Amino acid sequence: MIDTFQERYENRHEYAKQWKDKTGGKVLGYFCTYVPEEICIAAGVLPVRILGSHEPQDVTEPHIFAMYCPFCRDCLAQGLEGKYDYLDGISIAQSCLHIRQAYTSWELHVPTDWSYYLPMPHHVQSPRAVPYLLAEYEKFKKALEDWTGNKITDDDLKRGIETVNKDRQLMKQVYELRKREDPPLSGLESMYMVVSSQLIDKGEHARIVEDSLKELEDRTLGRPVGQRLIILGSENDDHEFIKMVESCGSTFVIDDHCTGTRYFWDQVSLNGEDPLTAIAKRYVNRVPCPTKDWPVRTRVPHIVSLAKDWDASGAVILQQKFCDPHELDIPAIKSALEEEGLATLFLELDVTVPIGQFKTRVEAFLEILDEEDLF
Amino acid sequence: MISAGIDVGAKNVKVLIQEDGKVLGKGSVLAGLDMGADIKEAFDAAFKDAGIARDKVEKLYATGAGRNEVKDADDSYTEVGADAAGVAYLYPEARTVIDVGAEEGRAIRVDERGKVVDFAINERCAAGAGAFTEAMARALEMPLEELGKISLTSTKAVPMNAQCAVFGESEVVSLIHQKTEKRDIARAVHDAMATRITSMARRVGVQPEVALIGGVAKNVGFVESLERDLELEVMIPDDPEFVSALGAALLAAGIAK
Amino acid sequence: MAKYKTAPLKSWERAKEIRADYYRNYAAAHEKGGLRWAGGAWTFDAIPAGLGDDVYPITSEPYGATIAFQKDFSDRCLQAAERAGYARDLCAYMRNYWGSILLNEYGWAEPGEERKPFPKPDFIWQDHICCSHAKWYQVVSDLEGGLPMFCVDVSVGPYEHTTEHGIDYIVGQMHDGIEWLEKTTGRKYDDEKLIQAVYNTCRSTSTWAEICALNQAIPAPLEEKTMYSLYVLGTLQKSSKDVADFYDELLAEVQDRVDNQIAAVENEQTRVMTDTQPPWAFLRVFRYLASRYGTVSVGSLYTFALIGNWIWDNGKFVPRPTPQSQGVEIKDRDQALRVLTEWELSKPEWQHFYHPKYKSDMMIQIAKDWKLDGVMLHYNRGCEGLSLGIAENRLAILESGFPVMVFEGNMGDEREFDEARTMARIDSFMESLGVPKLD
Ligand code: SF4
Ligand code: SF4
Repeated sequence: MIDTFQERYENRHEYAKQWKDKTGGKVLGYFCTYVPEEICIAAGVLPVRILGSHEPQDVTEPHIFAMYCPFCRDCLAQGLEGKYDYLDGISIAQSCLHIRQAYTSWELHVPTDWSYYLPMPHHVQSPRAVPYLLAEYEKFKKALEDWTGNKITDDDLKRGIETVNKDRQLMKQVYELRKREDPPLSGLESMYMVVSSQLIDKGEHARIVEDSLKELEDRTLGRPVGQRLIILGSENDDHEFIKMVESCGSTFVIDDHCTGTRYFWDQVSLNGEDPLTAIAKRYVNRVPCPTKDWPVRTRVPHIVSLAKDWDASGAVILQQKFCDPHELDIPAIKSALEEEGLATLFLELDVTVPIGQFKTRVEAFLEILDEEDLF
Repeated sequence: MISAGIDVGAKNVKVLIQEDGKVLGKGSVLAGLDMGADIKEAFDAAFKDAGIARDKVEKLYATGAGRNEVKDADDSYTEVGADAAGVAYLYPEARTVIDVGAEEGRAIRVDERGKVVDFAINERCAAGAGAFTEAMARALEMPLEELGKISLTSTKAVPMNAQCAVFGESEVVSLIHQKTEKRDIARAVHDAMATRITSMARRVGVQPEVALIGGVAKNVGFVESLERDLELEVMIPDDPEFVSALGAALLAAGIAK
Repeated sequence: MAKYKTAPLKSWERAKEIRADYYRNYAAAHEKGGLRWAGGAWTFDAIPAGLGDDVYPITSEPYGATIAFQKDFSDRCLQAAERAGYARDLCAYMRNYWGSILLNEYGWAEPGEERKPFPKPDFIWQDHICCSHAKWYQVVSDLEGGLPMFCVDVSVGPYEHTTEHGIDYIVGQMHDGIEWLEKTTGRKYDDEKLIQAVYNTCRSTSTWAEICALNQAIPAPLEEKTMYSLYVLGTLQKSSKDVADFYDELLAEVQDRVDNQIAAVENEQTRVMTDTQPPWAFLRVFRYLASRYGTVSVGSLYTFALIGNWIWDNGKFVPRPTPQSQGVEIKDRDQALRVLTEWELSKPEWQHFYHPKYKSDMMIQIAKDWKLDGVMLHYNRGCEGLSLGIAENRLAILESGFPVMVFEGNMGDEREFDEARTMARIDSFMESLGVPKLD
């Protein structure tokens, strides 16, 4: 059950192609978790997040200057290499500058029928953000209708909301189980669960999560839990790395990643409101990406409470090389966590990670945590 | 006309003497601290090789980063210009020149007349130049030629991230610790470097035919990785490290323009 | 014999004076009961102008560049920022700025005097389009132990797709911002001052564009190194009457240079443009171009349009006429904010944030109309905002037939600029353009 997620993650391209064959629907590749999947699903479209492959490549240098993050280059490489040739369209919601270049270069050089730039506001702490985003959603909805030929009714939107909400709520239940002294799943399994939700049909995903919940009821890892860790930072689906850390005597029990909690933590609450407004409120008020988290850094107390509630003793702070948005928050996050008595380990990710080198540092970090436990 | 070209690089000083397009002699010395002495030594070697007296040379052009040190040169060209001239003469059909030397990698696109249309130079990092393979050979404790040869026998691609030479070295060390076979590590090193060079070459656009010059063209392991990456065969002249000097000599003689 | 006659710019002294007054006034504001505020070069400085005539700004980018210009001080600033845990690849202006707070040294000093302690602003008034904009000041506030901060998000999409709701979003934030300013400073807001400041903003940014348009002339009356010292006034305070008046005078002088064929580079034989902020500690690159190759850099989209406002008109890229010249009369606060928003949204340097194609089109048009032989792109590791999409710009310019060379560097962190290699690259480029060396 729980291993289905990994299978879906690894075979994401085949999955999407089969989905198309089976349903005759359109597949939309999106670059950032601010794209409102609810509206896409209401239009009968399968939204799939475009991710990198963690393999060295030599095709993006003419398009993206080397000072931008490896993640955005890795994503673009997938397009240039034709791995996403089945996509019917692409979209991005305004987030950081780096990933935006993956989108614009893709639009310029990878043949795509449909492309949509959604200007998601940055000033999410302003009361002006929701009305603005709502107006943008109206446009987005109209564009989706024109593209698919499907009229999107309020009922469709409500269905979209319910589908996504249900999956979110189930994943949160799984996360609750990770609070246990002996968590029933590893950080790696959890990562596969969340990332695969970005890649496959939401209804199907929710069913697998439901089944997994039963399986997890009385499951244990079958190994010592070791140090309980929180992992946080920018995009991370580097399974090699997570596997390595968890094999050194530790378990990730919680995270703050856009391939983790940031993606699904917040629900759309309908409360009798019109569905588009409800969706707009959700994206404006969700746990933000650092580029939208100002003037107040709301994410800092959020991360601290996650760490506390999941009883983490240490934090692994990961960052994609050159990722300005996260670099601008890390000093504040680091000191807040340390104030709460959590030790932190900071590591910088590239397309591939030097596992050997990182392992030495992880082991040393875990050793410090083990020693702390003695006193 | 007999003319000479001298290529004053950071690591080597090379002189080539030619007459009407035929190479008469070559000389190369490792660059030391006394540039003037090196230049003289390289000339002496080339004249000896050519078996002619110095005053037979009617014109001398210099190229390379240290070209301004050659006081008696009649004119000078940049490495980019000299590379293009040398290759245009050897391979008129070449549209792309890739020059990988000890310290620097370059890619140049030339038109039908051998004129430079666009060029790219890899940024201050040894990971895209010969010094990288040398360092990796040292880490693997084998001579450089050996590194090239065993790489050809590898059957397995191991991904390695060579964003920088220092990082590359620590990756090699961890591959050794993981008991990866040396031949596969050798290939990983060449693949990583080829990825860098291909990346750079794609900036100018890789148009066939492609000529590969510079000292690293002699590393068979690298050549194989590069060809695999570019998905085409590259043309390599006999003395790939002398092409800049040749270009300068041809420009001096007016054979190349 | 030089090909053209040349003469120093008469307005030069006045430009220096305005800049010195600016940094001096900011530092001394409290002495006379005035206020100090900080914000970016693109912030809507016309809005705090409504708080009174004794309210002085300091804008972050030119301040960062001022520091970068002083190599040793910059080095200490960058190191201080790194020690405090800020990554080396972040915006270099930002790191210089933070460093100067951490070291508590003001990057501007009276000639011959020691550096004074950094004058802490009373509040922050910023805008946001580059991801670093608001975050920059969040850190400033951290470092200063908390400062009131307001920031207007302007990222509502490219000008050609401006929407009513996009303008409402920005104007709405501005209204909130004015209330916030009144609350934060305890001052009463004066709409009349706002209206004048909006007129000034339009006038100074439009006039600067007109000045740059004169550089289409052969020989070019201005070269880019000089332009840096002139456009900077607009980045300091585009809403000030002094700056707007200065540009009017400068326009007249440059027109005179064009009429009399007074060249910036006496042996002009080749014309290029650059892109993005230059490596400030290495402006001698421009001198090398001029003296060795008779190459004049006539500017860049950066110098023309970081503050200059331009618009497409029948396929031509022209200075945008001010609203007042089009008969617009501003009557109240809301209208002032709307005019200001609509005006700034067409800023050319805001367009590439959404897609490189907008910038490519403008650059290619400049290359044609300013009669360029080639383009030199500074791949600037110091600025994620302006280097955004630059690789695609390069491809598009090449496609249009103009030769392009790139050089990597950093506007504010000299450790990332390799002078010798850049010069070598320039030699190769000039050689490939067939430019004869001047001896
Ligand atoms: S947030 Fe960071 S990791 Fe994610 S795309 Fe932007 S720069 Fe890259
Ligand atoms: S990165 Fe560039 S655009 Fe962004 S804040 Fe810094 S100077 Fe401004």
